[in-house]
Amino acid sequence: MKPLRLPAAQPGLADIAILCLLGGVIATVVAFAREFQAPFAQAVQIDLRPAALPRYTLYSLSRGVTALVISYLFALAFGWTAAKSRAAERLLLPLLDILQSIPVLGFLPGLVLGLMSLFPTRNVGLELAAILMIFTAQAWNLALSFYNSLKALPPPLRDACKVAGWPPGRTFRELEVPAAAQGLVWNGMLSMAGGWFFLMVNEAFRLGDHDYRLPGIGSFMSVALDRGNVQAMALAIAAMVIMIVCVDQLLWRPLVVWVEKFRLDESSAGEAEPSSWVLDFLRRARLPRRAAVLQLRAYRRARRAARPLERPFRGVGPVILRGPRLALEHPVARKIGAVLAIAAFAAAAALGIWRLWLLLAQLGWREWGELLSSAALTFVRVMGSVIVATAWTLPAGVWIGRSPRIARALQPVIQVVASFPAPMLFPLVILLFERIGIGLGIGAVALMVLAGQWYILFNVISAVAAIPAQLKDAAAAFRLPRLARWRLLYLPAAAPALVMGWVTAAGGAWNGSIVAEYIQAGGGLRITKGLGSLISDATAHANFPLLAGGIALMSLLVVGWNRLVWRSLMEWARTRFGYAQ
Amino acid sequence: MTQRFRLPNGQNLEALRDVSLAVREQEVVALVGPSGCGKSTLLRLLAGLDRPVDGKVLYRGHALDGVLGAAAMVFQSFALLPWLTVAENVAMGLESRGVDGAARRDAVARAVNLVGLDGFEQAYPKELSGGMKQRVGFARALAVAPEILLMDEPFGALDPLTAENLRSQVVDLWRDPATGVNTLVIVTHSVEEAVFLAGRIVVFGSNPGHVREEMANPLPYPRQERSPEFEEMVDRLHAILTATLLPEPAPATPQRLVPFPRVHVSEATGLLDHLLTRPDGKGPVFELAEDLGVDYDRMSAVVRAAEQLGWVTTPGEIVQLTAAGREVMAMDDAARKDITRARLAKQPLFARLVAMLKESDGAVEDEEVLADLTIYFPFIPAQSLFATLVEWGRYAELLDHDADAGRLMLLGWEPAGAAEARVE
Repeated sequence: MKPLRLPAAQPGLADIAILCLLGGVIATVVAFAREFQAPFAQAVQIDLRPAALPRYTLYSLSRGVTALVISYLFALAFGWTAAKSRAAERLLLPLLDILQSIPVLGFLPGLVLGLMSLFPTRNVGLELAAILMIFTAQAWNLALSFYNSLKALPPPLRDACKVAGWPPGRTFRELEVPAAAQGLVWNGMLSMAGGWFFLMVNEAFRLGDHDYRLPGIGSFMSVALDRGNVQAMALAIAAMVIMIVCVDQLLWRPLVVWVEKFRLDESSAGEAEPSSWVLDFLRRARLPRRAAVLQLRAYRRARRAARPLERPFRGVGPVILRGPRLALEHPVARKIGAVLAIAAFAAAAALGIWRLWLLLAQLGWREWGELLSSAALTFVRVMGSVIVATAWTLPAGVWIGRSPRIARALQPVIQVVASFPAPMLFPLVILLFERIGIGLGIGAVALMVLAGQWYILFNVISAVAAIPAQLKDAAAAFRLPRLARWRLLYLPAAAPALVMGWVTAAGGAWNGSIVAEYIQAGGGLRITKGLGSLISDATAHANFPLLAGGIALMSLLVVGWNRLVWRSLMEWARTRFGYAQ
Repeated sequence: MTQRFRLPNGQNLEALRDVSLAVREQEVVALVGPSGCGKSTLLRLLAGLDRPVDGKVLYRGHALDGVLGAAAMVFQSFALLPWLTVAENVAMGLESRGVDGAARRDAVARAVNLVGLDGFEQAYPKELSGGMKQRVGFARALAVAPEILLMDEPFGALDPLTAENLRSQVVDLWRDPATGVNTLVIVTHSVEEAVFLAGRIVVFGSNPGHVREEMANPLPYPRQERSPEFEEMVDRLHAILTATLLPEPAPATPQRLVPFPRVHVSEATGLLDHLLTRPDGKGPVFELAEDLGVDYDRMSAVVRAAEQLGWVTTPGEIVQLTAAGREVMAMDDAARKDITRARLAKQPLFARLVAMLKESDGAVEDEEVLADLTIYFPFIPAQSLFATLVEWGRYAELLDHDADAGRLMLLGWEPAGAAEARVE
């Protein structure tokens, strides 16, 4: 145990900054809680004056952060269960794969209606629905990351904790979570960005003849678009960018630097250590450390005082627990438990399928025909958007990834740009397209490119940056001409990552189609035929059978395409172009 | 005890069969044997990290349920938590044993002092060298004042100088009554290490793991590695291990399939090259291993491969270059390939493979061969054996492999149909 030295009490500049930040956080939490508790108002009047924007931005941020906290809790529980039990693993992983790729936006109406009937008088229902929608965009990659970290944990470390007699709770806190910390933080960044994607729809949408609106930056933007208020639009976009930059600098950068401590492999030599001016600044603060030391002292004092009381329990505890432990670990009991769990899951799945069937049975031949032809159109757009996105991101990614200097300079910029929710720009882009005479039918492809391109760019950059230096040296030493260098080195090296990028980009494009083919801009509604607009239209007209059909068809297409095409392509790229020998 | 594992492909692998071993107080027991003989599995069973499928582990007459509290363990890979300081790592096992506050600080200080790590308490593992890390591993084990110290190749990841230094310290720790450690069980790959440390050496055989022989080692501590008594002990252990690793060839039975040792072509020719430089082209297998800087397990695999090709013979633990071996080394590359092809065609496993290929017109799917190998050699990872067969087959220009299509092909084989077509 380290001796505890108490830092001096007089505050420095960093301390004052921390106190201000703390005050701001508390004020935000209080304001957000009040909005949560407010009497139910279906469509809040949105104040388009600039002075109202900071409050709206903080509301949206609070929703995103709340959803992220829930996502982390979910990821820890989900990843742990899947990693610990083979039966759970076999059930949960395919489920995760499906959840990750289906258009969750389609579930918004059901969620809103359900939660509103739970809380008919307060805003809670609507708020919870918005938060849960953000959650569905954040949770899956976090859960997968935690699961993968647990699976990759070197067995001797686990053994060492067992031999040391650590109970499972302590192993979880001090081994499993720290070992996963890096992945959890990196994926948290991605999740946060992904959560903003449907911000506008989550905060302001129509369901049948009802208008639902929550105070937030997304609804601010959508009202500004409705009224054609250009100044407000510009302000909303600026506020969004400022929020993203602030979250990146104040939250993620310091976290990324801090979790370097939890790196498992020691081979970090050569890589530039990430740095954060915020963390450096905060490390100079004395008050938090003083508070921590005081708290630790108080804790130790309390433990010491409690020890005589604990002693009898320490002897009795294992004896009391022996019965339940035996029952829980007994093979028969475990088998019964597993059967019960599977039965419950099967019953829930059967019920869900039955309800879905009831909805789908209401659709006639004509509607199915409509669904299929729309799906074909959207499918062509999705593939088109992947091709267009690849056409510019592949050369750009190779160019950036090739030079560590350019990559280092551009990476933070690209990260912020990629976090910006593309749908907020859709109406503006479409208005621009209309001016030069391009319709939504083609324009939607451009919007879907906006939704998916970053995944490809990021993947290509990191793959090219990871090319072993000796391979690049060899290419230089044998004076490979420029074209051959691309054909023989960069493209093959980027291939596995490129396919990975395609998978996520296509997923993003499918999701994006829901807002890209159905756009409210400049006071008018623009629709082009496609599965996305069909889903949006069914939502707006509360046509639940058609909505269910659209969602089911899109899910089927995405999951089926993932399984049949992307997966085998990925397998091929990995065995053909992987470095592993 | 018997221990089985479920392999990813659903098969059951028997790691240990009917192993019975008693470790007494004040003993140092070394477990040696080829890799995959289950010695590490046995150590995990003793620690209570796994439960045996059949049989049980008894500690002072009581069946073990969960981790053995009287034991501490030292790992080959150190297994230190990188985010904890040296002191925090050393204190890992103390809390669950109810050692708190000042007592914990004392225990950590004592353990750190015992292994000579004073001054490093606040360092993080990544700041330490391998030897220092393993000292932390020992300190962590000693801090809980264990009766039994279980060590899984504790010096395996260290350079020879550091290993030698730590090894003699382990003996001192065991002899020092202040540590409270009175029994050591060590899994090792090194013959000298076993003889240096252990009072009793247990030799394991593989497929499935079982105890082949036990050898008592009454040499007094501290042991001198250059003394004739020590050398004699080492030779005796060599002899026992040779019988395990290089068994006298069984009388030839044409039906019996023999797996081909998983070694590379260059390793086998390297061995021949090395033997050529020795007087009379021969040498004891353990000496060869030391000269070439590989462990005896690997060396014996190379020797077995060369033996199957008829290039060496192994009277006892001596490896002797044969006339055929000398001839091969004098040949040019093309001739060497020809003679290797002829030899391989006689090796039962290759012969079977060739027959299989001829039956199916000179090409077989990988899957088919892999399934075949899994059935015949359940203890050998089929993928790795397959890779060896492909390498040797390609070298001898006997086989070819199409990795994209996943097919194995016989070279110089004209499919029956094609041959007929040409005749027409």
